[in-house]
Amino acid sequence: MWRVWVPLTTNGRTLIMNPASQQAASTIDPTLLTRVVKGEQQAFSRLYDLSSTLLYSLAVRILGNREEAAELLQEVYLEVWRKAARYDVSRGTPIAWLITLTRSRAIDRLRTRGTRALRQTGQPLDLPAAGRVADQHPTPLDAQADQELRQLVYDALAGLPPVQQQAIELAYYDGLSHAEIAIKLNQPLGTVKPRITLGMSKLRESLRPYWEQRDHS
Amino acid sequence: MTHEDLEDTIPLYAVGALERGERQAIEAHLLSGCVPCHSALKDYQSVAFVLPFGLNMTAPPHGLKATIMAARTSAALQETEAQQSEKPSLEPGEWMNHLFPPEIPSKHTPSFRWVLGLAVAIVIAGGGYTTWTAYNTQVAADSARLAQVQDQAAAARSELATLQRQIDERDESLAQSREELERRAMDIVELKDQLIQREAELEVAIAQLTEQGKKPVRVPQDELAALLRTPNAKAIALSGTEMTKQASGMLLYDSRTQKAWLYTLNLPECPNGMTYQLWAMSEKPVSIGTFHVGAAETSHVFVKPFRDFMSAKTFSVSLEPDGGRPQPTGPVYLLSHS
Repeated sequence: MWRVWVPLTTNGRTLIMNPASQQAASTIDPTLLTRVVKGEQQAFSRLYDLSSTLLYSLAVRILGNREEAAELLQEVYLEVWRKAARYDVSRGTPIAWLITLTRSRAIDRLRTRGTRALRQTGQPLDLPAAGRVADQHPTPLDAQADQELRQLVYDALAGLPPVQQQAIELAYYDGLSHAEIAIKLNQPLGTVKPRITLGMSKLRESLRPYWEQRDHS
Repeated sequence: MTHEDLEDTIPLYAVGALERGERQAIEAHLLSGCVPCHSALKDYQSVAFVLPFGLNMTAPPHGLKATIMAARTSAALQETEAQQSEKPSLEPGEWMNHLFPPEIPSKHTPSFRWVLGLAVAIVIAGGGYTTWTAYNTQVAADSARLAQVQDQAAAARSELATLQRQIDERDESLAQSREELERRAMDIVELKDQLIQREAELEVAIAQLTEQGKKPVRVPQDELAALLRTPNAKAIALSGTEMTKQASGMLLYDSRTQKAWLYTLNLPECPNGMTYQLWAMSEKPVSIGTFHVGAAETSHVFVKPFRDFMSAKTFSVSLEPDGGRPQPTGPVYLLSHS
């Protein structure tokens, strides 16, 4: 179905929502998962094509190891193939479900292997291609809607003070509690909580126009 | 802890930064149905979900998709299930169920009476609120488990239906193959009958010629009759193509003499300058020989030595210019079934 391009303004930037968003990871149609539930191989293949780059990048970021990330991704997709019927559209978007599943499984692995202390942590969040040299190979996330969302997330993160970025990253990608983060950063207990709260609050405000636009389009 | 204190922890809950006790407290509060906190949680979880879009993207290995697609067999899935025997922190489809606090196994530690008394007092003081929260938590956990079992049953039913469909399709295909085999066997029997009948007619004709004092014609039919009585003679039926559906043929092979016998019925008369050519089709077509069918000739016997009969996969008869061709060029009139 043809959709009219609607300009969206946030943080002084203008975003465009266009028809290409239908092919994006950020806008996977819930009916695709319905077809996976029915055992349609093409739908499962399509779901992989749309989401695997994002999920693999997330797994690599959490585990810090490409081979283990590939192993994890295989486990996640097989679980999706087997348990896609459990996806409930009223609880969130398909990509949110896939991200939650991948992050949860990756952090389980991280805790199991107990090598968290050996990994390098406390670095700033990875910046999207827009802020760095572009990826050498095009990925499915090159879809217009994904690029827009990536740029938006990049801008929102770049607008945070580094200490807030760092605290959010240690919680989200390393699975650390605020108390563990305080110990790791050698900060007094009670300093990390407000950093995360403030950082998340700013991110929410920065991203709010995107969700409002998406809900109306 | 006040409502404001709880509300302040929602961003930390969404990003996974709370300690277990804090997490349980906010989960209990959310279970009470606080609308503003539910709304705030939805917003902050939406923030958490898009954070990976801020990562520098890395494409997965090229072979990973093929590995995953191939691993969806039931054996692989069972293995995966076994490997996941350790309870993960979140089940797919239950990604909001983590609002329900996990059951904490009780620890039996040595205690003094006054500790026990104090604990009892706390329990009593907790009163209805604690009981009600625990009840809700248990009901929610049971509901989640029930949903999980129902999902597994639905998936098993779906897989069973798929397998049943596949079995039905294979049964149908097998029945069709059997019917085809029976039909071809009947064709062969019919052609053999026709051959025997022609053989008898030929014998009568030879006898009549002999009675008229003419020199008997030497024909290979005696040899053919002997061949037909040979139990291990190889017989292949040929059917007419779109060019002439009423035509048919029987190809016999005598492994002792290494001769191929082609008996044809109802082949049209060869036009001037044209002849029929018999082909054995293996890796490439090999000519066995040419023969001519004249006017009003309803049947024809064609004999030719041919050593590579058994290696051929199919046989055909095409119409070619006189003398034949190294490769088939003209229309095919007869074709074996396999």
